[in-house]
Amino acid sequence: MKAISIALKDLQVLIKDRGMLFQLFILPLVFIFVVSGALGGIGASEEVKLPQLAVVDLDAGEHGKTLVDKLSADGSLEVVLTSSAEADSLVSQNKLVGSLTIPAAFTEGVESSQAVTLVLATAPKANPQAVSAIRMVIESIAADLSLEGQIIASLKQLGEMRGSLPDESEVFATEHVLAKARQQFVDAEARPLIQVVQSVPQQDQDQETTINYGQSAVPGFTVLFVFLAAQTTAKSIYEEKKIGSFRRLVAAPLSKAELLAGKLIPNFITNLAQIAVIFILGSLGMSLLGMAALPFAEVPVGTILVAIVLALCSSAFGIAIAGLARTDNQISGVSTILLWGMGLVGGSLVPIFLLERFLGKIPMVVPHYWANRAFDDLLVRRLGMAQVGLDLLVLFGFCLLFFAIGLWRFDYER
Amino acid sequence: MPPILEVENLVKKYGDFEAVKGISFSVEEGEVFGLLGPNGAGKTQTISMLTGVIPPTSGTARIAGHDIRKEADQVKKINGLVPQDLALYPTLSARANINFFGRIYGLHGRELKERVDDVLRIVSLTDRADQVVDKFSGGMKRRVNIAAGLVHQPRLLFLDEPTVGVDPQSRNHIFESVQRLNRERGMSVVYTSHYMEEVETLCNRAAIIDGGRIIAMDTIKNLIGMLGDGGVVYVGVNRIDEAILGELSTLPAVKDATLVPVPASPPGPDGKETAAETKLAGTTPVVKIVARHNQQALVNVLGCLNQQDIAVTSLEIMQPNLESVFLHLTGKKLRE
Repeated sequence: MKAISIALKDLQVLIKDRGMLFQLFILPLVFIFVVSGALGGIGASEEVKLPQLAVVDLDAGEHGKTLVDKLSADGSLEVVLTSSAEADSLVSQNKLVGSLTIPAAFTEGVESSQAVTLVLATAPKANPQAVSAIRMVIESIAADLSLEGQIIASLKQLGEMRGSLPDESEVFATEHVLAKARQQFVDAEARPLIQVVQSVPQQDQDQETTINYGQSAVPGFTVLFVFLAAQTTAKSIYEEKKIGSFRRLVAAPLSKAELLAGKLIPNFITNLAQIAVIFILGSLGMSLLGMAALPFAEVPVGTILVAIVLALCSSAFGIAIAGLARTDNQISGVSTILLWGMGLVGGSLVPIFLLERFLGKIPMVVPHYWANRAFDDLLVRRLGMAQVGLDLLVLFGFCLLFFAIGLWRFDYER
Repeated sequence: MPPILEVENLVKKYGDFEAVKGISFSVEEGEVFGLLGPNGAGKTQTISMLTGVIPPTSGTARIAGHDIRKEADQVKKINGLVPQDLALYPTLSARANINFFGRIYGLHGRELKERVDDVLRIVSLTDRADQVVDKFSGGMKRRVNIAAGLVHQPRLLFLDEPTVGVDPQSRNHIFESVQRLNRERGMSVVYTSHYMEEVETLCNRAAIIDGGRIIAMDTIKNLIGMLGDGGVVYVGVNRIDEAILGELSTLPAVKDATLVPVPASPPGPDGKETAAETKLAGTTPVVKIVARHNQQALVNVLGCLNQQDIAVTSLEIMQPNLESVFLHLTGKKLRE
């Protein structure tokens, strides 16, 4: 209860500090909009321009060939005709966006109005925008083929029927043909003859990823500024010591745990609010810039879980700074440089896949890396909760480490 | 009735440095006890140990029968601390500040509201309660600082230099508040200051502390009585040398004669340092005479100076008080 009183008081003080509110909530958004707007194409450009699609034609019939020709003629992707094994290999290594398999009885199925399925296997780390674009192209061509196939099949059926009808049935036969054709359009839309099924093969962790820089900027700057907010905890404790109120709190019937919890809770709450505001407004801003919004709604539990561990880690880092720093300059100056440096190395300013090209495994030594990786895996690569378990575990480990340093070095007397 | 505070041989060391060197004293229930000493004497360190802010290196103390080391939680509920710093949140209102410290002591609801209103009345800030502390004058901030230490109605209140940097009006206000709390509510007070007139005005007894040690402790009357009718006489002269100073020191009724370093000058009648302009204006040497008997010493000194054809440019006699007691005991002024 007393810890809550301290936390409420700190939040009251924070709300009146406009400069700090600007730094916590507005500045990150400014960075996101400027950087996303300016560099949003980087990373996505190689694939969006001409994404490569492997095509495995097991049909070798007329309609299979038509499909391949139309895909090649579309101009929005590069078709690579290859074998099934080669396609699997290329896809699993993320060397192209995906592979499309045309089944063996494709032509026969289309001609006999039997449903056929095209399988689109996408690379684990493929750019979602590129995948989406390719799928749209395939579905569009498949819809045309589907309609064409259904109409031809229908006409054939009518032709066969016409031979057995007397001459006076001619007029009726024309109306019947038109009605039949209309029905085929409706059927083709409702139950397309050719369906496209998408699958994602098992991700190969060792392969490098290519993600849209604009999209990764939102979680990147969020992580950076959430960790920068650790300074508010350290500053708040330093200010309490400077004005003497900390002495007053130590003299009150209040345990050290309550005191530290009271100083930690406001930063934790602020961090969560910060993540929510930056994600929502950042995503909204990206939509305005013409980029795809981050899919928070698709992985709400994962996003919230990463946000909680990140907020906790930043708060613990604040306690560690308060324990180690002895002067205002060490909190405001040195820790700012340190936190920006950690953000840079940890992939908040430059995407992780680019950093790893020349820093190797060095980024792994900072918590920013694991937070960025978790958000990227969830929101940009859309890999699901199972992929962020390790990231969360390591991030929580950092959290415990920072808290232990803070408790070890914290000076209640000074 | 047992003392509310008993201190036994309290020591605080930082490495080789001994800030408090075995202090012992006691404070009776309902007493206002003064800790008088210059800056760095160990007053704040002593209070910090007694209020649980820092642990003593050795020694112990009991507050209302509770050991400060073993029963810290009990002790903290009995104590109230008004630190030397303005330990307030400047962007919050006076009421919000006091409310917060009340909640920290476990107060809430109607009781908290009544206590907050009560202490605001005590420090005469009811009409300014909802204004932001940052907009207050130094004196008003000091009063809020005191109110925050009173809100939980402590039995023993530690006031650590509560009048530093305040105007005379606010100082009087603080004096009145302390006296009223002691008189009407029986609150025991430990009052630290380096202003001897504050301790003389407020306290029943006082300990004079210097260099981490108590060098004298008694009632104010007895402490001043240590000097008999002696005191300090400041004599401004047109010239002086070591030989004449030596001669003055040997005169009957004179304990010591020293040259006051320029630009220092004798304190004013109220014991305060004279203004900087006054000090600079007097460029002639000033001799400080510590007298066993003021009147006799003055006659002897003036006679000696007259014989040496030395002109007297100014003359000030300090009546015996705690300042002169401190000077007598340590050879230095309280604010040196």
